[in-house]
Amino acid sequence: MLKKILSSFIDAFSGFMRSKSLEYIEVELRELENVFALIVLGSFIGLPSPPTSISLRLLPYMAKELVTMASISERLDDMLGEMAGLFEVT
Amino acid sequence: MSRNHSFKVYFFIGKGGVGKTTCAASFSILLAEKGLKTLIISLDPAHNLGDVLKCSLSDKPKEVMDNLYAVEVDFEKLIVNHLKQLTSKIKDIYGYLRVLNLDRYVDVLKHSPGVEEYAVLDKITEVIKSNIKLGTYDAIVFDTPPTGLTIRVMALPFISAIWIRKLIELRLAILERRRIIERIEGKKLKISIGGKVFELPSTIEEDPIFKELKIMSEDIDLINKVLTNENMSSVYMVINPELLPILEVKRAYDYLKGLGIHVKALVINKFLELRTIPEEFRVKIDEQKRALDLISKLFSDVKITKIPLLPKEPLGIEELRKLTRYLEVLLKE
Repeated sequence: MLKKILSSFIDAFSGFMRSKSLEYIEVELRELENVFALIVLGSFIGLPSPPTSISLRLLPYMAKELVTMASISERLDDMLGEMAGLFEVT
Repeated sequence: MSRNHSFKVYFFIGKGGVGKTTCAASFSILLAEKGLKTLIISLDPAHNLGDVLKCSLSDKPKEVMDNLYAVEVDFEKLIVNHLKQLTSKIKDIYGYLRVLNLDRYVDVLKHSPGVEEYAVLDKITEVIKSNIKLGTYDAIVFDTPPTGLTIRVMALPFISAIWIRKLIELRLAILERRRIIERIEGKKLKISIGGKVFELPSTIEEDPIFKELKIMSEDIDLINKVLTNENMSSVYMVINPELLPILEVKRAYDYLKGLGIHVKALVINKFLELRTIPEEFRVKIDEQKRALDLISKLFSDVKITKIPLLPKEPLGIEELRKLTRYLEVLLKE
């Protein structure tokens, strides 16, 4: 009985930890994609950018990064809140 | 021809009007006469290689004498070609714009800042890559645009290499995280754009961005290796014996040195050599002497050769041949 309880507790705990880790990695991935888009296409918003040809050659493949960048831009006002939520800072 | 064919690349650089084209053309004649199959390419948007060689040139190699072929790069065409691939990719993606006849606006990309420099660099890379593959020429001589543009072109591989290295690093981090998430979730990551679902690449083999960066990185590495390898390429600076141009050349020399490109020799062109000095020329000769003193002080580690100002402008193969003896020294190790 105790073994069963312990095993389900471990399962629940590892499941919680896995989902928490996944959440961190997903946020990290999203931010990396955003940084990638900002670096390559920075000239759109007045940031220094790589030589034009590099940006132009990568642009056709950057659909995902552009979607990520646009969605982050929409929520930029509340990014601090989102980060606080992620790290459970209340 | 062997794929391992070794060849040399020569760049003549300097301010506008100092005689780069004349020196480069004369040097090419020297190489051709030594039995080396030589290609001279003018990269200067304001071409005068054809005028100097006294023949009409195009962007296809033309045999101007035994062993010597000449090309004047068509700048407009070069930029258009450079952008053709880029714009065609963008036009493919935004192909629907053709319906509204709006696709022509994409052509404005050819006026993007920096495209000119990239197009010149593309041409240099293309010529070198093609010669590595086909081994057509034993020597390639580039007659370059004036110093300002040439320096920007030569710096471009180094600047691009820094950007590409960082972007590859970042891309690898993105792909690594995508793979971790895929392993945890047990399925490929997907994205929905415009109602269509696409699988996201997570390995370097699948990722088109990584592949594109890799191709760019290989091209840039090749050109960097050629520019910095003293056994393969030589940079010669052409100057006139006047104070201000010397100071400018010194700045360009230091800048190139910082990029790892070593200037092998200085060609002092239009050097006044007079048996008797007329009174009106005395100040000029004194100035020239001061300029020469400054050159030997500033460029103590560089080979120097002087070409006198000739009574007649050297135009055509026969006249240019008269200058080759002053350039022989450049070939001595």
